[in-house]
Amino acid sequence: MTRTRRFRQRSWRALGIVACAPLLGAWCMDQPDRRAILALAESGRLEDAETAARTAGPTFAATLGDVLVLRGRLTSADSAYDAAITQRAPYARLAEVGRAEIDARRGALAEALARAERLTAAYERDGRAWLPEEHVAAGRAYVLRGRRDARLARQALAAFDAAWAADNTLLEARVRAADLLLDKYNAADARGSYEDVLAVAAEHPAATLGMARVQEFDGRGETMAMVRKALAGNPALTPAHVMLARLHLEAEAYDSARVAADRALAVDSTAVEAWALRAAVAWFTGDSTVFAASRTAAEALHPRPSDFYATLAESAVRHRRYVDGVRFATTAVTLDSASVRALGVLGTNQLRTGAMTEGRATLDRAFAIDPYNVWHKNTLDLLDQMDGFTTIARGRFQLVVSPEDAALMELYLLPLLEEAFDSLAPRYAWRPERAVRFEIFRRHADFSVRSVGLTGLGALGVSFGDVLAMDAPSAREPGSFNWGSTAWHELAHTFTLGASANHVPRWLSEGLSVLEERRARGSWGATATPDFLAAYKAGQLRPVSSLNDGFVRPRYPAEVQYSYYLASLVSEMLEAEFGAAVFPALLTAYRSGLDSPEAFARATRLPIDSIDTRFQRYMQTRFAKPLAAIEAGEGPGDVKGPFVDAMREGAGHLEAKRADAARAAFEKAQALLPGIEPVNGASWQLARLALERADTAAALAQLARITRVHETALAPNLLEADLLEARGDDAGLMAALERVIWSSPYDAAVHVRLAEAATRLGQHAIAVRERRAVLATGPADPLEARYQLARALAAAGDAGAARREVLGILESAPGFEKAQALLLELRRPPGGPR
Amino acid sequence: MDLAPLAGVGLMFHTMFRRAAAVALLSAAGAFAPADAQQQHLLVITGLGGEPAYRTAFADVARRLHDVATTKWNVPAANVTVLTEDATRDPARFDGRSTREAVGEAFLAMSRRVKAGDVIIVFLHGHGSGQAGESRVNLPGPDPTAADFGTWLSGFTQQTVIFVNAASASGDFQRVLAGPRRVVLTSTKSAVERNDTRFAGHFVKGLESLEADANKDGRVTVLEAFDYARRAVEREYETDSRMLTEHAVLSDSTLAATVAFGGRAASSDPRVAALVAERQALEEQVAALRAKKAIMADAAYEAELERLLVAIAEKSQAIRAAGGTP
Repeated sequence: MTRTRRFRQRSWRALGIVACAPLLGAWCMDQPDRRAILALAESGRLEDAETAARTAGPTFAATLGDVLVLRGRLTSADSAYDAAITQRAPYARLAEVGRAEIDARRGALAEALARAERLTAAYERDGRAWLPEEHVAAGRAYVLRGRRDARLARQALAAFDAAWAADNTLLEARVRAADLLLDKYNAADARGSYEDVLAVAAEHPAATLGMARVQEFDGRGETMAMVRKALAGNPALTPAHVMLARLHLEAEAYDSARVAADRALAVDSTAVEAWALRAAVAWFTGDSTVFAASRTAAEALHPRPSDFYATLAESAVRHRRYVDGVRFATTAVTLDSASVRALGVLGTNQLRTGAMTEGRATLDRAFAIDPYNVWHKNTLDLLDQMDGFTTIARGRFQLVVSPEDAALMELYLLPLLEEAFDSLAPRYAWRPERAVRFEIFRRHADFSVRSVGLTGLGALGVSFGDVLAMDAPSAREPGSFNWGSTAWHELAHTFTLGASANHVPRWLSEGLSVLEERRARGSWGATATPDFLAAYKAGQLRPVSSLNDGFVRPRYPAEVQYSYYLASLVSEMLEAEFGAAVFPALLTAYRSGLDSPEAFARATRLPIDSIDTRFQRYMQTRFAKPLAAIEAGEGPGDVKGPFVDAMREGAGHLEAKRADAARAAFEKAQALLPGIEPVNGASWQLARLALERADTAAALAQLARITRVHETALAPNLLEADLLEARGDDAGLMAALERVIWSSPYDAAVHVRLAEAATRLGQHAIAVRERRAVLATGPADPLEARYQLARALAAAGDAGAARREVLGILESAPGFEKAQALLLELRRPPGGPR
Repeated sequence: MDLAPLAGVGLMFHTMFRRAAAVALLSAAGAFAPADAQQQHLLVITGLGGEPAYRTAFADVARRLHDVATTKWNVPAANVTVLTEDATRDPARFDGRSTREAVGEAFLAMSRRVKAGDVIIVFLHGHGSGQAGESRVNLPGPDPTAADFGTWLSGFTQQTVIFVNAASASGDFQRVLAGPRRVVLTSTKSAVERNDTRFAGHFVKGLESLEADANKDGRVTVLEAFDYARRAVEREYETDSRMLTEHAVLSDSTLAATVAFGGRAASSDPRVAALVAERQALEEQVAALRAKKAIMADAAYEAELERLLVAIAEKSQAIRAAGGTP
């Protein structure tokens, strides 16, 4: 016997006994009871449930109505409910709320609310005496009324809790409470309630589906499996089919999404959400006939199907089609101006497309209706905070940044972005139509809210097209990320999204962005690591034809990170084999609506399968030697093999203070993985050993191996700078410090050193920039910093700026003797007496 | 009262009577003795380190304070007392072990040599704990409390007292030691801020390097030193991406602005003295001009400012050429 069958039998027994004993009296003892019929329905046997309800006679009219609703036979359900209400059948109150819900589904919200209000008014009069099922009915009525008054969610929850308190075998009460909690963004409590149900009925389909939703809310990766588990328990669970369709759609698995939506509609042809997902699949695949038919079906079910368009909007946004998302959401709001969902998706994406004023106003409206929406609250709070941000509009960019970071970002980020723009625009044969808006946040939580409305996003930056956002350097530990390469990466998305009209698949957009990072600076961008190669060798990385799944459906946590680098290697290979023109060709193909097989066929004149083959050859050639030195371990990314053995040997010798033996082992490890420099790997150990024997040249050679490929090698770069400075190598010192700044820009001492080296080399423009940077970091001695800036300006030949600066200094400190001397010096005619 | 530039030679912590701020500062500074009679007295007390790194760090602060006082501020060695956990680490600089008894004796000795109008600076550093009157710094043997320090300081009513507690959890010393003619600096705002503090290192660095001299007049006031250290602490935490866990507090910024570490000897050469006076008059004109900035046209303001600043700069050159120190 399967676990599912055992569960079903258990449910029947448990529910039948409890329902018949105290509540319904003698009449039910010899007949199937409501819960038994619903248990049939909950196991997917809708036809059997309907038959049982009909056979049971008029006293089960309300139950029959419930089953008919699940089958999408709303007109018949109307009749059954009306009969139950008219005949005052048992559970007439359930019929009343069922009728109200059908009204709402049809767009007759006024009627629905009127029924719900009657029911809740009665509940508030004498609800204490109601049956547990009737508490649930009251809760459902409050949920309905909550569409116009979000505060009523509390009463709904109280009613569900009352039902559960009265009868803890009435699992529906707990599931509905959990659903409501999750709808109100309280995933933690929802999880607890679902777990209560699953503790009694381990495979309860609705609770399992609820857990899938919780997992999705929490960003965990087992959502799809949980939905499938729910469907295994109840193949007729329409919301599970709908969720599965949505998940497939988000993973760009259009055929699977279509199948799931169709399965939902086969159970319940009145499920507007399923029609919307079917329409979304059609929209993404360019099937205008199915799109129109789905829309017509939705409009037949609901005269103003706001949710249909909200789903389309959400789907578009999931595919980075933000402008289309705004368009669909606008229609959704037009159809129902009080829909929090529609207002939310509209406002959020107005903000993502740079319509800041409109987006804020829309979210304000949404929040006024539903003050419990944490996304909207977070975003509105952030927008309030951003009122104090500084906007630097210059050239092709608009930087929006907190005042503390404004000066530093203006000094470094703006020139970098301009450089990136000049590099990317010709390569992708596309230019943004307006200034690119770049928002920078000092707190990672704020960046996360700006991106997804919640804290906890793991990313460093995000691109919505010509609106970009990223962590400021202060948002993370110094040296933990490279803010220059992050900005370059996000801006590259602007071009690949723009050139493809946002049709580029994520894998290619990410791959090109990482490739562009490496192109920008030698040390930027992801690099090969032993664990990446181990995963490759173990077959744990996706082929080109399904590389998108590595981003949208990762099988293990590191797969997303590996996929970034893998995608960049694919991009490198494409450029090497087909020339740089392959990228604009691909993006144009995507822009015209082609899918990946078609786009690759057009751009490369090869089927995508052969690209897979070519890429495997490319990998085997490029990493031939490292792959021979690495073996896959137990799990994804686990590394074994000669390289690991050599590293372990070196570490052992190091611990035993056998420097020469350690050196030999680390050199062996290094030789096994040429060009691959793990953080704290062989090169770092060899550099330290070289320093111990005072061999600076050898240490520098080892450090260079690290700093030339690692974009965040803060300690190695600082050590390299110290060694180079001691050797008087100002050019090398400057290069090392420039690298340091992109991972740790707030250390004034670094800027001072760079300024001094630049001055020694006569690179006065850099010296001026660095002196300005010192000031931007809030130095301990600001007047001294300004004085040094004035000197640098003078040395750079900008006597006017130097004079203004020195006058500013002396204005606040007239007794500053060095500045006095500089003022006199600046007034002296060139060549005049000193 | 004569508000001419101070003539005190060799002043280390000296009370400034500056014309530019005369009205504001008169009440605070007026009670001080004539500058040439004023003496400064430094008592440095560092507590138990507990770990080698802290022992070294605390001793380093004591050593640096000793050096900056004796070499840069010219405090007579007899006026400097340094008590540390282990005086044998640096017998040339450290006078004894920082036990409660030794601290009490140091205050007693100081009370015997101070005169009215002198400035006393007490610098306390280490691991702090406790609350209110029971706040303490961990010293060898029994720990003296904030209330003990209050008792020891109670006799110095004719002197200006600068009390710096750079230890962790030092904030509650503020309430206990508050009083007239006293400036109390603590590295934390309350006893709740118990993490190790970074204030002391920056405070001393500001004095050593003169980086704390915000207005570049060649002197570092207590207020400037405090502001410098506070900012440096904030910057350090920010650079390290750490939440700020120490918030320094200063009890009396007005008095703190009048007391400076280090002094500038006035020249006995009447020519230099005249030039200094002329320069000071020009500085006052700059102050007056700045006060009118909001109501002046930009160009007129800038022209006049530049004229005055150039004149000041030339006056400084003339002072130096005449053998004086600007």
